[in-house]
Amino acid sequence: MGQIHVVTDSGSDLPVKLREELGIQVVPLTVRFGDEVFKDGVDLTAAEFYARLKQETRMPSTSQPSPAEFVEVYERIAKPGDTIISIHLSSKMSGTYQSAMLATTMIDPKITVHVVDSRAASLGIGVPTIAAAKAAQAGKSAEEILTEVEGILDSLRVYFVVDTLEYLQRNGRIGLASALVGTLLNIKPVLTLVDGQVAPFEKIRGRAKAFKRLRELGAEFRERNPGKQLKAAVSHADNQTEADALAEALPEILDLQDEVVVGEIGATIGVHAGPGTVAVFLYCV
Amino acid sequence: MDVINGFAFKNMLLAAARHLDQQKDKINALNVFPVPDGDTGTNMSLTLSAATKELEQFGNGEIRRLASLLTRGSLMGARGNSGVILSQFFRGFSDGLAHVQEEITGEDLAHALATASQTTYRAVMKPVEGTMLTVARVAAEHAAQAAAQGAGALEVLQAALDGARQALADTPNILPVLKQAGVVDAGGQGLVCLFEGFLMGLTAAPEELEELLAEMAAPPAVEAVPQVEQEVSVNKYCTEFIILGSGIDPHQVRGELESKGDSLLVVSDGDVVKVHIHTDHPGQVLEFCGALGELTEIAIDNMRLQNQEFASHEESHHLDYSVGNNVIDFPVNSGQSEPKPIGIVAVVSGDGLAEIFKSLGVDCIVTGGQTMNPSTEELVRAIDSVNAEQVIILPNNKNVIFSAQQAKELAEKPVGVVPTRSVPQGIAALMYFVAEDSLEDNLAAMEEGMREVKTGEITYAVRSTVAGDLHIEERDIIGLAEGKIAVVGATPASVAQDLLRKMVDEDSSVISIYYGADLDEAAAQELTELISAEFPECEVEVYAGGQPLYYYIVSVE
Repeated sequence: MGQIHVVTDSGSDLPVKLREELGIQVVPLTVRFGDEVFKDGVDLTAAEFYARLKQETRMPSTSQPSPAEFVEVYERIAKPGDTIISIHLSSKMSGTYQSAMLATTMIDPKITVHVVDSRAASLGIGVPTIAAAKAAQAGKSAEEILTEVEGILDSLRVYFVVDTLEYLQRNGRIGLASALVGTLLNIKPVLTLVDGQVAPFEKIRGRAKAFKRLRELGAEFRERNPGKQLKAAVSHADNQTEADALAEALPEILDLQDEVVVGEIGATIGVHAGPGTVAVFLYCV
Repeated sequence: MDVINGFAFKNMLLAAARHLDQQKDKINALNVFPVPDGDTGTNMSLTLSAATKELEQFGNGEIRRLASLLTRGSLMGARGNSGVILSQFFRGFSDGLAHVQEEITGEDLAHALATASQTTYRAVMKPVEGTMLTVARVAAEHAAQAAAQGAGALEVLQAALDGARQALADTPNILPVLKQAGVVDAGGQGLVCLFEGFLMGLTAAPEELEELLAEMAAPPAVEAVPQVEQEVSVNKYCTEFIILGSGIDPHQVRGELESKGDSLLVVSDGDVVKVHIHTDHPGQVLEFCGALGELTEIAIDNMRLQNQEFASHEESHHLDYSVGNNVIDFPVNSGQSEPKPIGIVAVVSGDGLAEIFKSLGVDCIVTGGQTMNPSTEELVRAIDSVNAEQVIILPNNKNVIFSAQQAKELAEKPVGVVPTRSVPQGIAALMYFVAEDSLEDNLAAMEEGMREVKTGEITYAVRSTVAGDLHIEERDIIGLAEGKIAVVGATPASVAQDLLRKMVDEDSSVISIYYGADLDEAAAQELTELISAEFPECEVEVYAGGQPLYYYIVSVE
């Protein structure tokens, strides 16, 4: 039996240390400021991206990896008989999943690729990817790993607070939250992901209240899942302070066994969510 | 006078409307809190005027028909809590006269006053003694005693008035807030005026009566007027009339007229159907409805000409409306596209606040609340104008909640009232509106949401009074927390600061300041900076509310 490899994309916001430890391959999306082109996480770090965002008048954009880029990665890491589990950005938000699917038809048919539509973004892709890599290291079968990944994605709830809806709106990723645009009041909406796209969850006035609400949502998640082992992750766009505060509060709120994974939102997601964003990911195993 | 015939009955009601109108300022001044929007007298007077306007169109006919017009007119014209209670009083009063043929005897009158009183008690969820409820009840008791001793109609009415006056004088002994403010109950005073007017109508000499009726020929305008803010309707003529006749099916009327225009409103109350439509074919509309019953109160206005006129006289137009009419900002293109599941109507004063409410998804703004409480009919009209299957109303004023509930009963669509008592409560409730959820779920969530916010209002005192430990002079600036006077001072800014000190606690995170029409942005910014400095842990936001009378409305959450 061949080896199992785990692949994701730069929208997963995996901390570098974790992905190196676990041998996860990350296919970068392309970030453009005008004519300048970067590979997210390869020649543009998160810190560099946010610094640039402050100075730039041009709005950056992203584009999915080409199928050829996936083919290159798949054929580089796998040999015939191997299996690849490739977990990607929600197909409702990005064409990355589509590129990966196309790539599977272009590679050596002896390599088996399971492409998973996470229906999520950021650590919503990151956490099942970590679980898959750990399970692979533990010698589990591809079927077992896929079951585990689907279990995480089914239980996953994502709540996030953006500083402004402007970025989501300008990039056409606002989904069902478009109803919130144009309010004259300074509303900090708590957003969520529904069926793989952004949806409004609640309208909240004031940032402090919105963060309080994120903590409450943790408590509500625990109430809805009695007796289950809960896990959580937090990601942030250039907002370490508020992310850390939330990550520190969660173990008690959720009665967590494990540490909360904190990830930095890279350019791929940062372009759409905007600086200041903090997201919490809650799931059961 | 032992009995009251139809002619006398009508005079009695018209005289009461006139008397109440003359006395309204006196009644307004009896507000417990000396805030400038104490308008019990105005509300009761406008409610009765709306009711008698219906009567005037009608001959000196049957008492029962007069009574039913009185009920309908007052139910639809009811403004403010006191107006709603008054309309319920008339409803009970008319029910009590249901068996009367030609003339009202003393016994009939006593019976009608008793059912009137019972109806008012039933209309209020938690009846409070020392209010107009008590005055109506004691009046009915005195009337019953007189009738039991064989008194005629006039004597029974005199007994009712005596009872009402006694009960009114006693209201400060029952309600300590009245005693402290040094006033009697305003609504009770309104009822006393009503009985006084009844007596005047019955006992006035013919020439006095003629004078009264002549004055009444031009009653204050209470109907909402088509709006300038509204997009010009594609249809030209605003057509309004009443169909009299039994067994008219409003759904049939609606079904037939829907294809003839827009902004259609059909309101039925037994054998009276009121129709409002914007149409290019008023003739066809009248032709159809004329076949169903007698048409009356026909009014047809050319809205295009009106709009041109309004456009050239915008200033005076606004002035006109602020005197007597509530402007309904009808949604554009109502009836043109698919109705949405839930629409929202909000009662708001002030351009800035109206814009804020609209930006939060409100479909129809009924201007009013502080200076002028909208009538039930205006709310029904607003409900109908929203292109939605169900409607949520945000009254945003404690004195509008009751009319909103009455509008809910009279509207044809399913309606829910979120009992918001202030602008901040209305905004807080809107945070919890989810277009995809059911009406019930939204109502529950919005009612819970509105409690998350504390409201403060800063205005001036219209008379000297005492509230708790506070001595207030006329023109002092006062701050109300949750509708109760909490702070008194010299300037709006200092009162706002003092009030916020009482409102902000360790759980507070957002302070919102909505400044009124009488203040400019610089003053509001200055206050905002002071507040931000004093409460660094809170986010402080300032918005132009444009509301009349209230320098600032503030909220803490």
